[in-house]
Amino acid sequence: MTVHDFAAIAPLLILSAAPVAVMLVIAVRRSHAASFALSAGALAAALLCLPLAASCSPRQVTPLLVVDAYTLFFAALILLAGLSVLLLSHDYLRIHEERREEFYVLLLTACLGSVIVAASRHFASFFLGLEALSVSLYVLIAYLRINASCIEAGLKYLILAAFSSAIMLFGMALVYRHSGTLALAGLSPAEGAAEPALLAGAVLIVVGIGFKLAVVPFHMWAPDIYEGAPAPVAGFVAAVSKGSVFAFLLRWLLEPAAAGDGPLGAIFTGIAVLSMFAGNLLALFQDNVKRMLAYSSIAHMGYLLVAFLASGPRRVMACLFYLAAYFVTTLGAFGVITVLSDKERDADALEDYRGLFSRRPWIAGVFTAMLLSLAGIPLTAGFIGKFFMLAAGVASGRWLLAASLIVTSGIGLFYYLRVLAVLYMPAAPAVDVPVRPLGTLALAALVALLVGLGVYPGLLTDWIPAMAIR
Amino acid sequence: MDYAFYIAAAAALAATLRAITASHAVHALLYFIVSLLAVAVIFLLLGAHFAAALEVIVYAGAIMVLFIFVVMMLNPGPRSVQRERHWLRPRIWAGPAVLAAVLAAELVYFAATGAGRSAGAGQVEPAEVGLALFGPYLLGVEMASVVLLAGLVGAYHLGWHLGRRPGGRETGEGEA
Repeated sequence: MTVHDFAAIAPLLILSAAPVAVMLVIAVRRSHAASFALSAGALAAALLCLPLAASCSPRQVTPLLVVDAYTLFFAALILLAGLSVLLLSHDYLRIHEERREEFYVLLLTACLGSVIVAASRHFASFFLGLEALSVSLYVLIAYLRINASCIEAGLKYLILAAFSSAIMLFGMALVYRHSGTLALAGLSPAEGAAEPALLAGAVLIVVGIGFKLAVVPFHMWAPDIYEGAPAPVAGFVAAVSKGSVFAFLLRWLLEPAAAGDGPLGAIFTGIAVLSMFAGNLLALFQDNVKRMLAYSSIAHMGYLLVAFLASGPRRVMACLFYLAAYFVTTLGAFGVITVLSDKERDADALEDYRGLFSRRPWIAGVFTAMLLSLAGIPLTAGFIGKFFMLAAGVASGRWLLAASLIVTSGIGLFYYLRVLAVLYMPAAPAVDVPVRPLGTLALAALVALLVGLGVYPGLLTDWIPAMAIR
Repeated sequence: MDYAFYIAAAAALAATLRAITASHAVHALLYFIVSLLAVAVIFLLLGAHFAAALEVIVYAGAIMVLFIFVVMMLNPGPRSVQRERHWLRPRIWAGPAVLAAVLAAELVYFAATGAGRSAGAGQVEPAEVGLALFGPYLLGVEMASVVLLAGLVGAYHLGWHLGRRPGGRETGEGEA
């Protein structure tokens, strides 16, 4: 490895040193503030190193990783998401848990795993990154050990993630049998569609990825886990874990022909349509906001597959923009739940939001913006994302997908507006929670991004065309 | 060559099935060890001697350590002696022993006749494994260490509570 290699992976190096440093600080002296500050500093430093890495990109670092504009885009997204989850978690942990410091170690390893997944160009590094992410998430989901539902959610995630990893490994073995290499380059499932073993391997990998993305029919775990997990962690699972796996999927099946046609294309189309309908229909009558967001995220993964299955120059642009919008929106929605949660339980019942506007107008405004973005109303990032996606789908003649997208968005509007209506009802006499300054700061930044991208999408779209994936 | 693979694979499948269906953890562990040994034999047949040795040392060895933990956590005394005797009746260890004997017979046969030598694409020496791991795949080794770090810290966090407060919920009022 040369100096340039080290410069290219500098953000990863900082992210790997950080959990060790936090762990050593914990060993010397347990201090919530110190662990928090160190973790936030490390994430910020990794972010600041991205320009340095960009100056060396595109660059293949060992057979495992590739650092190009695409990697850096996801690295920036993941690091910003990690930072906002960190800010949201600080006060949440302060009231919920007495041993808080390990949370930061695990959050950092989870971020590192996600960046590795997004940067990998080899099945080995993909799997290792995914395991680093999953192992951290098992514990993060079960972090509040007093709470039985947390432990249950952690256990469910453990079993399902291990199961899907096993399926994926078997798929990788079959692909390796055919191609003799685990590198992504020179591997195109479409060309080998006639080869049953390669196709079977690709399908098994898609099943494993489907579990991670929680798309129908691999979605059963998502609502339970989002409901049981601490609210900031649920946001992390919904945004970062899905986003990084999707980044890998897009890199793996970069050629639209590989994804959109043949047997794999049929499978993806089925998954997309089912996810859009099942996610939105199941969300309709949820009285638990976390479960509703879980079903909504299932539907959003279906929407994302519409862009993924499109062809033409707009495809990658639509995927990346929608993912960025989805990150901001999901983190914001779970962030609102986080800052409203009290010591006893998370604010996940619809009743907790009755009359929120008269009690906490700013938070209610933030939640309104997030819900409108999820529904795809103009002036929010979600609208622009959906617009790009629909344009990409229509341009490549995927009419079934485009029609499903429109119909299910209409269905989705109902349950988002249902929550919105509750927000603005007359106030119920409720015990209010104190203001959480750091969480509020994170929410403010997320709303600014949401509206910024919605009003002036050029902020992001000017960048994206430069991101040729290799 | 093929039949050797099928025997070992069948042993692995049978042992794994019993490991999953056995109702007692110790019995399941016995079968699990046999399953790992069978996979080690398959590695051996493929020419990956080093991987086979690691499989035995790391996995089977780790399960031995688990055994020691189980024994350590139970209070010693006449009752536990009785209990362990109950666990290890011949009916229990006969199955794993037979499977292990089949694998051993296969090994001895190959050691005696040298039939396994020419299999596959040749042997992978430990030196090659080391050169690959600390050459092109160095970052992979480091990534594996991150996975282990996360697992370690997580196990520490989850285990600490169980050790200190077996009661759980109602004693869970901390300084917060």
